Amino acid sequence: MAELERECEVVVVGAGYSGLAAARHLARSAVDVLVLDARHRVGGRSFTDVTPAGFTIDRGGQWIGPTQDHLAALATELGVRTFPTHTTGQGVELRDGARDLYVGLIPTSDPHGAADGIAAMLDLDLAAFEVPLEAPWDAPDAAALDSQTLASWFDTHLTSASARDILEVAVKAVFGTGSGELSLLFALFYLHAGGGLTNLARTTGGAQERRFTGGSQQLAQGMADELGDRVILGAPAETVAHGPDDVVVGARLVAPGADPADPAAEHRPLGVRARRAILAMSPVLCARLAYTPALPGRRDQLCQRMPMGAVTKVHVMYERPFWREDGLNGQIVAPGGAMSATFDNSPADAGHGEIVGFIAGDECRRLERAGPEARREIVLADLELAFGPQARTPIEVVEQHWPGEPFTRGGPVAVGSPGALTALGPALREPVGPLHWAGTETATRWCGYLDGALSAGIRAADEVLRALEGEPVGLD
Amino acid sequence: MASTEELVEAYAEWRTRSNANPRLTKMLKGWDRVIHFTTTDTAQGYTMRVEGQQLSELAVGHEGQPDVVVTGSSEDFCDMYWGDLNPSEKYMSGEITLAGSQQDVMRIDAISMVAFLDT
Repeated sequence: MAELERECEVVVVGAGYSGLAAARHLARSAVDVLVLDARHRVGGRSFTDVTPAGFTIDRGGQWIGPTQDHLAALATELGVRTFPTHTTGQGVELRDGARDLYVGLIPTSDPHGAADGIAAMLDLDLAAFEVPLEAPWDAPDAAALDSQTLASWFDTHLTSASARDILEVAVKAVFGTGSGELSLLFALFYLHAGGGLTNLARTTGGAQERRFTGGSQQLAQGMADELGDRVILGAPAETVAHGPDDVVVGARLVAPGADPADPAAEHRPLGVRARRAILAMSPVLCARLAYTPALPGRRDQLCQRMPMGAVTKVHVMYERPFWREDGLNGQIVAPGGAMSATFDNSPADAGHGEIVGFIAGDECRRLERAGPEARREIVLADLELAFGPQARTPIEVVEQHWPGEPFTRGGPVAVGSPGALTALGPALREPVGPLHWAGTETATRWCGYLDGALSAGIRAADEVLRALEGEPVGLD
Repeated sequence: MASTEELVEAYAEWRTRSNANPRLTKMLKGWDRVIHFTTTDTAQGYTMRVEGQQLSELAVGHEGQPDVVVTGSSEDFCDMYWGDLNPSEKYMSGEITLAGSQQDVMRIDAISMVAFLDT
C-alpha cells in the first residue's frame, strides 16, 4: 500500500507521560507537532485497565507523593483527584515461612537488625545527596562509586543479614532489580532524585502516599485529548533518518484492532518528516530503532548499559479488604518470597478488597517460565500465610508482566550498570543532530517515576524550542 | 496527658540509653542541632540539643533557633522516651510531625527509630 506522508515541525516518538508532556508543551508554544505511539493506547508504563471481572486497575505506575510537583499540577489541571494509600494497621513480615507483625517503616522482628538497616539507609541517603543530579558523573569519587554495585556497598555497611534482606526488598521494589545489578553511583543518583531510599520506600509522606481516583492513565489521556488528532496510535516507529536539521521517522500504521507487535499485521507505511524529533522512550527502546546515520557509539553504548528492571505487578481482588478487620494494613515484606512487597490497593470507598504485589528482579525472571497459573498459586500461598485462609479465595487475580510487553520490555525503570554513567552519562540527554531524548530515565528529579517523565518531556521540548529558534544545542 | 515532670523524667531515661549506644552516637556525627519539641495537648515547649555526638538534657521552654521542630502529644512523647512506642508509627500516621530541612528531618526520623529499636 502507498506510503502515507505527514509533515510537522516536531515529531515525538512515544505517547507515554514524557512524550505527551513534551508534545503538549510544544503545541502550547504554537509548534506543529505529531506524536506516534506503537500501541493503540497512550500512557506507556501508565496503563489503567478494566479486568475481566470489571475492576479498574492500574497495571503500571499508580502513585503520587510529596514533591512530585509536575504530576500534582497536571492532576489538578485535569481535575483528577487523589486519595491516600491505606496504611492503618500493622504490616506482615514473611521470612522463611515465619510470620511477624510490625508497625512503622520496616519490619522489626529482629530489632537490632532493623536498627542496623535504618542506620545504613541514613548513610546511603546522606551519600546520595552528595551526588549532583544534573551530572552524577561529576560526583566526588564518581569513578570509584560507579565501579562498584549497591550490593558491594551493602556488604561493607551492613552487619546484619536480616537488615540486608529487608533493604534488598526495598531495592527490588524501587528498581525492579537486585542490588547486585546496580551501579552504586547510579543508585545514589536515583535515590537523590527521589528524596532518598527512605522517601522512596514510604507510603505516607513518601513515594507511595496517594493514588489517582479512576487510575493514572487518565492524566496521559487528558494530555492526549488536548493534542487531539496530533496523536497517532497503532504506529510503531521503526526507522529514524536524519540530516543536521531534518528528520524522517518511519513507522507502520497498523489497522485498528491489529496487533502492532505483529510484523504481519495489516498496515500502511507512514513517514513523518519534521525539523526535530523527540524520542520519549527508555534507552532500551530508543536503541531498537534503526538510525540513519547510525547513532554515535557513545549513545548506543549507553543504551546497552541501561537495561530495564524486571517486574510483574499482581493484583488480587477480594469481596472486601478483610485484612483490615484483623488490624493489618495490607503491606507484606517478604525477603526471599516471590512477591517481595505488597500494598493495600483497595479503592477509596473500599467497595472491594485489593492487594497489589510486586514480583521483581530475579524472581520475576525466574518465574516467567513458570507461567501465570503457577505464579498465581505461589502468590496466593504467600497471601494466605500473611492474611489467613480468606486470602485463598480471591474474586480475581490479574498480573501484568512488564518484561513481556513488546513496547516496554521491563519495568519499572531502566537502571545504570557499573561504569555506564561515568563513561557515557552525558549521552543520556545530549542531542544527536535534530534528535532529542526524553523519557523518565532522562529526568533529574524523580527519575524513573511518572513525575520525572513529565519534567523530562518538558525539558526536551524546551531544548527543541531553543533549537527551532536557531540556538545551538548539544555538545557536537 | 503527661506532665512536664513526667516528660522530663522519661526523656532523661531515653537520653542515658541513647548516649550509651554506639550505633546511635555514630549517627550523630557532624550533626550538632537545636531541636524544639512542642506538645499539642499541653502546649508546652521543650528544647533538646545535639552537641559532639551526645544528646543534651531536655530544657523546658523553647531556647535558641531550632533546626527541627517536633510536634506531638505529651503522651506520645512520654511513651516514645520510655521505649514503649515506635516513633515511626506516629510519624507515618501524622500524629507526630517533623519540620526542618529534608536532611535534618530524615536524620531525626532515623535516629528516633534506632533509639527505639536498639536501646
